[in-house]
Amino acid sequence: MTTMATECLLQLCEERHEIEDYQGGVPRWCTGCGDNAILAAVQRLCRDEGLHPEKTVFVSGIGCSSRFPHYMRTYGFHGIHGRALPVAEGIRLARPDLKVFVNTGDGDCCSIGAAHWIHAIRYNMNMTVFLHDNQIYGLTKMQASPTSPRGTKSNTTPRGSYLEALQPLSVTLGVQNVSFVAQAVDWIPEMLYDIVKAAYHHRGFSFIRIVQRCPEWLPKVWDPWLHDPSRIQVLTHEDGVPVSESLAKVYRNRLEHDPANLNRAREIAADTDNIPVGILYRNPEVPCYEDLRASTRLRTTDYVKAGLETEFDKFTIWPQA
Amino acid sequence: MNMPSEAQVTFFLTGRRAAQELEALDTVRLRPAALAAYLDLTRLRHDFPVVLIEDAGEGAAFAALSALVDGVLESAPGAGEQTRLRAHALRIEREIRTLVANGASDRLPALIDSAAARVAPLPDRAFAESVQRLREGMARDGLVVDCNAALPRRLLGHVWRSVARVKGEAFRAEAERLMHGLDAILRADHAQSRRGRAATELRAAIGTAHAEAFDFERMAQLLAPVSAESTLSPARRARIESVLTVLRGQRFFALPGSAVEPYAFEFEDCASALSAFRARLPEMAALARALAVAALEVEGEYREARHDAVFADFDLTGMDAEALAQFPDLLVCLNEKALHTPENQALGEMLESGLPVKVLVQTDDLLEAPLAGSGHLAMGSRGRQLASMALGLNEVYVVQSASSNLVAMREHVERAMRYVGPALFSVYSGASEHIGGLPVYLVAAAAMDARAFPAFSYDPAAGGDWASRFSLETNTQLERDWPLHRLEYEDSEQQRVVEEIGFTLADFVACDTRYARHYAQVPREKWNGGMVALESCIAETARGLPERLPSLVMVDAENRLQRVIVDDKLVREARRCREMWHSLQELAGARGGQAARAKAQSAPVEPQAAPPAAEASPPAQMPAPAAAEAPTSAPPSDEPYIETPRCSSCNECIQINPRMFAYDANQQARIVDASAGTYRELVEAAENCQVAIIHPGKPKNPKEPDLEELLKRAEPFL
Ligand SMILES: Cc1ncc(C[n+]2csc(CCOP(=O)(O)OP(=O)(O)O)c2C)c(N)n1
Ligand code: SF4
Ligand code: SF4
Ligand SMILES: [Mg+2]
Repeated sequence: MTTMATECLLQLCEERHEIEDYQGGVPRWCTGCGDNAILAAVQRLCRDEGLHPEKTVFVSGIGCSSRFPHYMRTYGFHGIHGRALPVAEGIRLARPDLKVFVNTGDGDCCSIGAAHWIHAIRYNMNMTVFLHDNQIYGLTKMQASPTSPRGTKSNTTPRGSYLEALQPLSVTLGVQNVSFVAQAVDWIPEMLYDIVKAAYHHRGFSFIRIVQRCPEWLPKVWDPWLHDPSRIQVLTHEDGVPVSESLAKVYRNRLEHDPANLNRAREIAADTDNIPVGILYRNPEVPCYEDLRASTRLRTTDYVKAGLETEFDKFTIWPQA
Repeated sequence: MNMPSEAQVTFFLTGRRAAQELEALDTVRLRPAALAAYLDLTRLRHDFPVVLIEDAGEGAAFAALSALVDGVLESAPGAGEQTRLRAHALRIEREIRTLVANGASDRLPALIDSAAARVAPLPDRAFAESVQRLREGMARDGLVVDCNAALPRRLLGHVWRSVARVKGEAFRAEAERLMHGLDAILRADHAQSRRGRAATELRAAIGTAHAEAFDFERMAQLLAPVSAESTLSPARRARIESVLTVLRGQRFFALPGSAVEPYAFEFEDCASALSAFRARLPEMAALARALAVAALEVEGEYREARHDAVFADFDLTGMDAEALAQFPDLLVCLNEKALHTPENQALGEMLESGLPVKVLVQTDDLLEAPLAGSGHLAMGSRGRQLASMALGLNEVYVVQSASSNLVAMREHVERAMRYVGPALFSVYSGASEHIGGLPVYLVAAAAMDARAFPAFSYDPAAGGDWASRFSLETNTQLERDWPLHRLEYEDSEQQRVVEEIGFTLADFVACDTRYARHYAQVPREKWNGGMVALESCIAETARGLPERLPSLVMVDAENRLQRVIVDDKLVREARRCREMWHSLQELAGARGGQAARAKAQSAPVEPQAAPPAAEASPPAQMPAPAAAEAPTSAPPSDEPYIETPRCSSCNECIQINPRMFAYDANQQARIVDASAGTYRELVEAAENCQVAIIHPGKPKNPKEPDLEELLKRAEPFL
């Protein structure tokens, strides 16, 4: 029908984009911050997938990492602390035509936003979520976060933190309806890009924990992994991300892992010695909440107004006449 | 006595009946024995009546009442309850069948009620429960219709309307979506424009409750400098408005709230259908174009530089079969009698040019007097000819069937109605005025069994060869010349006899008053062993005097068996009929004919064809694995370089000297100009690069200060 004709016409006008088309303001991150690498990988994805800037939205909470939307020349929503996911879910429901990305920090996601995180996994709405995990509250100048390794000295834990770090991968893999979990490190850009791409192509809640360096507050924490490639465990599988020849030469610690195997994924996630990099879990069969609740009803202004009025009326206190 | 008598042979050869030896066939009193069991159809659970299901959507548009009842019974819980429900349901079903056969015309729920009232006039709780369960279980509404002269038109009209409704729904949803989207573009523009930010508009936007708190005049003044006349270019606005005009004024679909009366798509003749189609074509093109433009606009994908040219040329040439398929197809219902020359021409033209038209050609009299004095039976020749002409066109979906068989052909009927392109339905109703006393259903079914009007379908989209496109599957015992029927009776010694008799063309023709002279009833005392089933002697072409004569078994009004012989003229017709059947079998690949052979051969041939082709190509020059990344093997270390693919875009080096270091298209650093800075900068960058991928090489300027110290610091990065 029309769709066919339209598809042809759309193909007719496929446009080449350059990376500059996705670059917004100049990043104000510290020099050497791992967020820069994430930004570069994401802008590359946008260009390579030919995303339309006006059909793309980045949603974030509060934190250094949450400044991400400012640096993208797309739509963006720099939200409130811990609430990136609910905002993204609302966008997803109201504007199914948009590509939705979420940037959230370890404080934003795993501390104040933890409840939203759990439920967002269960809702499994189609979006790509980047957890920028620098193991610290960066923006507010170094307070321990739930993912800070035990013993982290910070402004809130001057004698070192007392608790074992929360493992974002293990948490995510433990929630009902989990459908995509991967891990990347900011300093292997090639794999970072491939993982971001795989996450983007998964339909559902695609969660990537990105090990992100904060040279400003925790300059040395990742050095043992940064300088010893054998502690990076590259996950390989035909359904995983490819490993180039040049990378394979450097990263020899490789583990064959089928992303369909949830129990194995949980075991791998529990290993804190190595940093596993690649796709831990992928299940394309999990239904998306927006599909379960899809309605063909046209959202006309009158319809939306009527719905809002009904809701508002529940709370309105009428001014005295 | 195993030889036919002289009078019998004479009748066979000449058709002259010696009255004292042979009786005339009484076509009203005598019935072919195979039909005897079915005279009271109300007692038989068969495909009729049929429910024309309303709002069937993509599901079956019609179903046999008996099938719907079975559906309810299958899902009934508990064995005891099931038996009771079954008994009640079947009684209601039979009552409905009787009501409908007697001319009742009503919808299913109403018929269930009137049938229930007749079966159990007094209140009965168990029965009422069953009725309730039946109504709920069927959950269908729709007219219940019997097999009669009106059926083909009603049924096909109904299926056509179901398909049109689905298309209409799809169009409505899409048109509303697009109009809403276009409207939103115009409203968004208005809201940002100077007019949209005038004081009155701002006041209206706030509502009454707090309006007094604002000075809207001042607000409008403040907003004026940042408000444009319009954010839309005049061309875009004109385009959107013209598309909206076309969508609102279109007459192909009924839209809620639309003031225009939609076009009619059902026609009584091909000529008017054809001229209506031609007259509407420009409007169809305009609407198709408007839909395509609107879809692009709503997506924000309309690019004038590219699309203007495409749509300037988008006239009738843009209207291919796919584009036409979004509109309702034309439906023409004709009686075979109406196929005169001009009508025939219009029909031929529509089918040949692949117009989106569905044509029903109904035949009521299959055995009308021979045409053009050929001496042959017509056997519905106009409808049949048309069907074979349509087969020859290859692109027409053809369905031929007796009305009794339409339920069995449901999938084909529906597929043909949905087919993108023309479809022809050739249907024999069975409602012939020359066949008295038999239910229409039975006549239609008899015509099919006798292969006088075989059912077939041709689905042009069903595969690459005839055998997969052409199907005879709904015919009874299709591998046989004629189907066998079981006949059970008591002989003169009161012994039970079971016989299998074929139901041939001669059996069918024996029901038609006009052909009685080709039959002669043989009095019981004159029966002899030379009287054999027609099928067993049809292949014999008479040379000299025949020793065996074809005979039929018939049953009279008192349910006694009678034997009837047939003259040679009719046998020849039966032979012709059999040959036509054979050629259909061959088309369907059911007779080991050409199609079947071709199919059998094609299988092993194809795989064999592949290897030589592969061998012929030279040892493949394997393309190198996509070299996305730069080589990592170290270039001569005298030159400074960066392992760019490993760069994590951290800005360190760029900040040290942006003329020396710069990002590439992937936002990863490389050395663009080593001479744009000092060796010191190179070394500092190498030291600051956290992933240690900057290699400073050897200094170019031997006069640079502190070289010795710098060289030492550079050592780990060489
Ligand atoms: C409701 C609320 N509570 C606290 C804060 C203060 N605050 C701002 S950013 C932040 C933590 C950010 O850490 P993280 O999410 O890990 O982001 P990073 O800066 O490390 O990228 C906090 C606690 C706030 N802005 N809002
Ligand atoms: S404080 Fe840390 S996380 Fe924030 S921008 Fe600086 S380096 Fe990055
Ligand atoms: S310092 Fe290293 S990682 Fe940072 S931008 Fe330069 S080359 Fe890349
Ligand atoms: Mg953090």
